[in-house]
Amino acid sequence: MEELKQKLKVQIIEALNLQDTRPEDIDDNAALFGDGLGLDSIDSLELMVLLERQYQIKVEDPREGRKILQSVQSMAEFIQSKQPA
Amino acid sequence: MAERVFITGLGMITAIGDDVADNLRSLRAQESGLGFTRQLDTIYKEVLPVAEVKHTTAELLAMAGMTGREGFTRTTLLGLIAMQEALKHAGVSDVQDEVTGFINASTVGGMCDTENVYFDIADPEKTGDFLNYIDTLDCADCTQRIADTIGFDGPITTISTACSSSANALMYGARLIKAGLVRRVVCGGTEALTRFTLNGFNSLKNIDKRPCRPFDQDRNGLNLGEGAAYLVLESESLVKERNATILATLDGYANTNEAFHPTAPSPEGDGAYAAMKTAMEMGGCIPADIQYVNVHGTATLSNDVAEGMALQRLFGENVPKFSSTKPFTGHTLAAAGGIEAIYSVLAISHQIIFPNLHFKDKMEELYITPETQLVEQYPVRHVLSNSFGFGGNNASLLISKYEG
Amino acid sequence: MKGKCYIQGMAAITPQHTFEGDPMAQPMVVTHGNMLSCAEPDYRSFIAPNSLRRMTRVLKMGLTASLKCLQDSGIAVPGAIVTGTGKGSLQDTERFIKEIRDYQEKALNPTPFIQSTYNAVNGLIALQQKCTQYNNTFVHRGFSFEHALLDSMLLLHEGTADVLAGAFDEITTEHFFIKGRIGHWKKETISNDKLYDHPSPGTISGEGAVFFALTPVVTTQSYAQIGGLQMLYKPSPEKLNIALPKFLQQHGLQAADIDLVLTGENADTNHAHYYEILNGYPQLPFKHLSGDYETVGAFAMWLAAQILKHQQIPSQWFPMLQQQPAKLRNILIYNHFFGEQHTFMLLHAV
Repeated sequence: MEELKQKLKVQIIEALNLQDTRPEDIDDNAALFGDGLGLDSIDSLELMVLLERQYQIKVEDPREGRKILQSVQSMAEFIQSKQPA
Repeated sequence: MAERVFITGLGMITAIGDDVADNLRSLRAQESGLGFTRQLDTIYKEVLPVAEVKHTTAELLAMAGMTGREGFTRTTLLGLIAMQEALKHAGVSDVQDEVTGFINASTVGGMCDTENVYFDIADPEKTGDFLNYIDTLDCADCTQRIADTIGFDGPITTISTACSSSANALMYGARLIKAGLVRRVVCGGTEALTRFTLNGFNSLKNIDKRPCRPFDQDRNGLNLGEGAAYLVLESESLVKERNATILATLDGYANTNEAFHPTAPSPEGDGAYAAMKTAMEMGGCIPADIQYVNVHGTATLSNDVAEGMALQRLFGENVPKFSSTKPFTGHTLAAAGGIEAIYSVLAISHQIIFPNLHFKDKMEELYITPETQLVEQYPVRHVLSNSFGFGGNNASLLISKYEG
Repeated sequence: MKGKCYIQGMAAITPQHTFEGDPMAQPMVVTHGNMLSCAEPDYRSFIAPNSLRRMTRVLKMGLTASLKCLQDSGIAVPGAIVTGTGKGSLQDTERFIKEIRDYQEKALNPTPFIQSTYNAVNGLIALQQKCTQYNNTFVHRGFSFEHALLDSMLLLHEGTADVLAGAFDEITTEHFFIKGRIGHWKKETISNDKLYDHPSPGTISGEGAVFFALTPVVTTQSYAQIGGLQMLYKPSPEKLNIALPKFLQQHGLQAADIDLVLTGENADTNHAHYYEILNGYPQLPFKHLSGDYETVGAFAMWLAAQILKHQQIPSQWFPMLQQQPAKLRNILIYNHFFGEQHTFMLLHAV
């Protein structure tokens, strides 16, 4: 899980071109959107692309996406729940 | 004083008809143009419904009288067919008998054809007939090919403000007439389905896999469409001189910007509200004067909330009959404003209101619901036609019955 | 159309050092190769990092030039934003076409699609300045900027207090290659400072983002007055020949009143003959500074306004200049884009 979260942070920074952010700057539970990292709805679509390209998980409904993409923690939990143990 | 601007000719081609009469027939019969594509090469062929014009590009070439000519894209041909009808309808056999402008609208130009040859065009190792399509990469190509075929000798240009493009073309044309720069200008837009736009809207998760259902609680996005529509605008003095038939007037229009988000409107519909209000007031109307609003109504989650809020703010408890005709034609992007302006003229000249297909349940955010029935013999005098788009570009047109 | 139009502020990102400091004192940037690229400023002084991270090149160029222009004019929220672009964001269009192919239409990032729309720059300016007024984008090759200008002049005439008008275009190596296939560029590789020594088919390519703040009233800050504008689409030689004296006459001028013509002459022998209508006029070509592209007329207007404001032609940019004109009251710009869209623009000193 820790490893997955680390990897996710690196991937998020790369996908969204968060130039001045380092992985350790992102708190596991911090909100990715709004006041947290300051991401917006286009970023949320890009993060869904990340999930699809890197983890082969397709999120169809943007409303469902919003829940999954709350934080690095919620993303990691979602990925793990979709992968065979 | 600036001259009034009259609409004297209409021409169109959409998924529900090859000309204006055919469109009206389908609207009355409540026949949607949505289905699966036969022309596009895409993995979504049988997944995402589109409203496609029911002809191959070769057939369109023949319909436009251009058989054997090279480099005519589907975008150009749709436009040319609509243009020929519009001029004929206005009784203009020679556009050069009066300096005539052409203000076109396009979102992706000839992408429908260039996307199929782009990698050949960009590959130094390859050569062939596809090189004819290099010039069709931009938005001006379709405009110029139509202009050259028809022989326009007035102002000519192309506008691209996403989904409000052809509404802005109409507005610009009307302003050129009012400023006295030209007395006749043909305005509208043309749009062919492309893999580019289909994948674009799909990447925004904005496309419904079912036929779109504007203003419905269960709506889940738009369906793309293709088509072209042009309206002939003339100054009052020219109309009198040549004794032309006035179909309707274009007395009000407005262009506003949301300044809110690259692809989404403000939830309260600030831009939509301002556009409708300004267009209405410019034409000397109050809310009670409006009988029908042809809404943008794409059936995306955000558009319909914003547009509905704006309607409620503007009209209060007395929202006039409104409907989205996109379940008939799909969202034809740059052509949408032109197509819906023609439907607005038809609503006036035939005293008819078109149904908003596929509507079932009221949206929880709104207290209003669209008209779901075909209403005949309805006294329509003033219509607002809305077109809203990416980049926060909003446009509203006020189209009115000519009453002297 | 009555009413006046003055340039109150402007900014230009071009292959020359036009953006910062005193542009008129900058040496000419010489590029060996037929594709001139912009000298780009540090965008971070204008755009927040969070907004900057997604933007591609021409979006940054367009937005930054527009913001600098507003700063220069002292207008925070213009009454309208009107732009012209021939190609919009090429980088985004190219990227989205490639992603559709590479990912076989699955799992696509929406950003290049959004940014490929031609009105994306306008939307960004409106968003950044919270400008909820009129907003329009023209996309018609060599008329793109000029129709944006005409629209702006109409708006001022209709009562809008001020308008932000501009143009932007970029060139990419891929697009340079593509347009080369239909003969846009010279076969021989040259340096821009030697452009006019190489009359042959084709020219050199360029790019730029140039914005103007326009108002109907003159102030001490005004750069110049825009006196007239005319567009001619594929004119016959006869039509073009009579168009110029007629245009001047409409504005109460004769050939002798024109102190300088900035000409779009670009050493392209396929289309050079049009410029013969300028025989006898004092003239200077400018495309060795910018290269050629759809909206290069905006750069020419920037140049004319600088010259009128400073009452001097920057001789380091125009080595062909024999001597400074005795007076600089009226500057005419005549340009055409590969023989199709011809434009006259007339500027007066204030």
